[in-house]
Amino acid sequence: VTDLLPWAFGVRLAALALSLALVARPAWCRRLAFAGSILASGLTGAAGLAVLLGATPPHGILWSHAPSGFAFGYALAPLSAWFLVVLAALAIPAALYSTGYLPHALPPVRVAFVGVAFNVLLGAVEAVFIADGVVGFLFAWELMTLSTAALVATEHETASHRRAAFVYLAMSHVGTGCLVAGFLVLTSLAGSPAFPAVLSGGVAAGGLRDVLFAVFFIGFGVKAGMVPLHVWLPEAHPAAPSSVSALMSGVLIKTGVYGLFRVCAFGLGAPRWDWGVAFALVGCLSALLGVLYALAQNDIKRLLAYSTIENAGLILLGLGAGMMALSSGRGELAAVGIAASLYHVLNHAVFKGLLFLGAGGVVMATGTRRIEELGGLARRMPWTALFFLVGAAAISGLPLLNGFASEWLLFQALLQGFQATLTLSRLIYPVAGALLALTTALAAACFVKAFGVTFLALPRSEAAAGARESPRTMLLPQAFLASACLLLGLFPGFVLQALGRVAASLPGVRPAPEMARSVFTVAPGPGHFDHLAPVLLALAVLLAAALAGALSLAPGFRVRHAPTWGCGGVLSARTEYTATAFSKPLMMIFGAVYRPTREVQALGEAYFPREVTYRAEIEPTFERFVYEPLTRSVLAVAHRLKIIQAGSLHAYLAYVLLLGLALLLWLGGGR
Amino acid sequence: LRLLESFAGGLLQAAVLLALAPLLRGLIKKMKAAFQTRQGPPLLQGYYDLAKLLGKEPVRSDTSSWVFVAGPRLYFATVVAATLLVPVIHAGAPLEQAGGILVLVGLFALGRFALALASLDTGSPFGGMGASREMTVAALAEPALMLGLITVALWGGSLNLGELARSSALRGPSGHPSELLAAAALFIVLLAEAGRVPVDNPATHLELTMIHEAMALEYSGPDLALVEWASALKELLFMTLLVNLFMPLGLSASARPAALAVAAALYVGKVFLLAVAVMLVESTNAKLRLFRVPELMAVSLGLGFLALAIRFL
Repeated sequence: VTDLLPWAFGVRLAALALSLALVARPAWCRRLAFAGSILASGLTGAAGLAVLLGATPPHGILWSHAPSGFAFGYALAPLSAWFLVVLAALAIPAALYSTGYLPHALPPVRVAFVGVAFNVLLGAVEAVFIADGVVGFLFAWELMTLSTAALVATEHETASHRRAAFVYLAMSHVGTGCLVAGFLVLTSLAGSPAFPAVLSGGVAAGGLRDVLFAVFFIGFGVKAGMVPLHVWLPEAHPAAPSSVSALMSGVLIKTGVYGLFRVCAFGLGAPRWDWGVAFALVGCLSALLGVLYALAQNDIKRLLAYSTIENAGLILLGLGAGMMALSSGRGELAAVGIAASLYHVLNHAVFKGLLFLGAGGVVMATGTRRIEELGGLARRMPWTALFFLVGAAAISGLPLLNGFASEWLLFQALLQGFQATLTLSRLIYPVAGALLALTTALAAACFVKAFGVTFLALPRSEAAAGARESPRTMLLPQAFLASACLLLGLFPGFVLQALGRVAASLPGVRPAPEMARSVFTVAPGPGHFDHLAPVLLALAVLLAAALAGALSLAPGFRVRHAPTWGCGGVLSARTEYTATAFSKPLMMIFGAVYRPTREVQALGEAYFPREVTYRAEIEPTFERFVYEPLTRSVLAVAHRLKIIQAGSLHAYLAYVLLLGLALLLWLGGGR
Repeated sequence: LRLLESFAGGLLQAAVLLALAPLLRGLIKKMKAAFQTRQGPPLLQGYYDLAKLLGKEPVRSDTSSWVFVAGPRLYFATVVAATLLVPVIHAGAPLEQAGGILVLVGLFALGRFALALASLDTGSPFGGMGASREMTVAALAEPALMLGLITVALWGGSLNLGELARSSALRGPSGHPSELLAAAALFIVLLAEAGRVPVDNPATHLELTMIHEAMALEYSGPDLALVEWASALKELLFMTLLVNLFMPLGLSASARPAALAVAAALYVGKVFLLAVAVMLVESTNAKLRLFRVPELMAVSLGLGFLALAIRFL
């Protein structure tokens, strides 16, 4: 098999260069950038798929610089291949969608800019997934951060978008700082910056190992969107153009997950039980808070962004379960948790990408992201509605779709973990299981609201009433992703066969061969613990639905249409149930989390007010109680340090001289 | 041949449970009336209603879309499919190859999702109210349900209901106090899932108190028949699950007709006892305010956790 990766990077660079050269002709620039991107993603996806199907993992050197001795080495281990396939599965539809979507959303020159940045971003993410050394990895990581920030600030006329990009950059650099520190320590201990040496597992030991774990946990956790490091995510993801939002939520946060896998779970030696517990706890916290905040949103893209935090939590919970099993030497059980986590990585990319693309179509057709102004779109945009509904059902973990398959596997990992552990600490598993059940049910409530208020009943504004269906270039990618939701849900055996290979490549993990019993049935557990055959289930549901259809045809095909009963009044969009009202009961029940503030003002007489204004908001707990004090103290320190920033060049030169002298003395003293 | 056998068994089981479901509702209604020294509707009223509704032409709202039509059909389909996962009189389930507890809970969630969306589709505020409350109560009941079920399942060593029935039919009830606690926890969830007092009131049409009725309010004719039938079946199914998990007594391990007949008689008796319990709770309690329901669910969750703790510590 020829190594496709250098070709993929070549194609991407050529597309970049050509589209930069053609910036003066935006239409060509756009077509070229996205066509090149699709081709390159196809190549990387094919390379990844080949490895997952059993080909020898390729490795080599992408680029080297003789004078400095730097070489960007790459290696396509099965874990990297999995993430590369996830990336391609979403990047191709997103690029196709962009060609239809961006010209409507942005002025031509800016579309060209987005096309270029899109390619840089994807190239950087691919490089992150395949980098085989510290320097290359950090370089790609930073390139990814910067190009994402540029894309977030695409519409930089809006102050909130500029702020979103700034918060994203600030938070990302806190994370990158942790990564640089951690990797420097590891590299100096290992004596080489190559990943096989750095991440061999035996580099650090004892307390240092724990410190390194914490540093990397924070560093990668920022990208993965784990609570409480998530504050940038709900700002940045909605600000970008919708196809980029899809990529950010679907794949970019997975770079953090990839790092957590590669370094925290499998790069520092056998994980400790406490590390797994840390993952599980943070995972549960992220999942629950993510879905609760999502439920409170009335901006469709912000809702989707918060739900990304929830799904990141589920992914971390699976990894945590795997690590806990690994720490007690149970390689087969670890494989179940790892597989659940990685399965959800793919599933979340597919359905969250689908939902963001659908939301983009809605925003394009109506010009608003506020679902309180939408409604009735199922009759005006039937295809978008159908695809969005598939995504909404999948993300709610409903059977026959892919979200259910990975959450089912996650339950298996937790419950088998309980069976396999004999100490008191095993109570963490059922507690996590109950939280997982709560999270899933809340997600269902959240997406009933998101779909129901946006697409059903009467339109709540002129814009929604006049909405038109999206063009075919935008519908086709959604159709692809929606069918992926269905296929990945019906045939979990396929996925688990590939994931068995990925898991087997990780140190200490020994997947049981019967995990994927056949394409149709999966049974990841000892003996008769549990199994799942979605195709059988689908057949049963289809048969029963046919029965329902036959029963309901008893009186024939006649149907009478009439207006909805309005209790004698006229029913209009004003009397429909609103999104705020829908989530109100849950907001009141979980009031301790939201700490809502309400303000009701009535104008006019007490009992017959002329006008009532109502304002409600929830308290951004983390922003107010964690980040505000933090920024305040950082700014205070910066203010103090202003004394040495005199603005005179002479002073600065003197600092350089003094520092050089101090370094010389320090190094000399050490000799 | 085994596949064909289980296919036939599945058809039979679904048909029998479908046929019995309206009777259960009628029975509870009749007993409730007797408890209140009323006459009450005829025992078979449920069947008369279904027959009438299935013969009527449906009226659908102008503002609704295909979601409104698909909702009741999918709801009905998920509940009927769920009957195939639960052991009734035989120690095994016709479709146990497809999955266990998690799939069962998932199917209920899918049906609920479909019906909640459909009820939002008419633009009537009642539909929205019903959907919002249904999803709220379901979200609170879900962890309690899961905790109660996994307590039983982990002790039996399997999440598959057929597998569990076989092991418990062989072992018999253990009499461990944790089973009592888990049964109490799941009984509370049953009241919530079946829309019974104190969580919901199946007899009410007062807009401010109803949950399930509000979701079905705009339905008529065969559409309404499907919703009502599926709800009755869901209740029967939940009761079947409960009695067979905690009183496996009588589940027949063999498929001999004589054994199955005994098992069927015992099954009817067990479900009757549970129906009496539901009736007593309904008759002696007032419906809770919506915002007191979380406390009830917390009690259920607490019971489930206690059951788990005393069983495994």
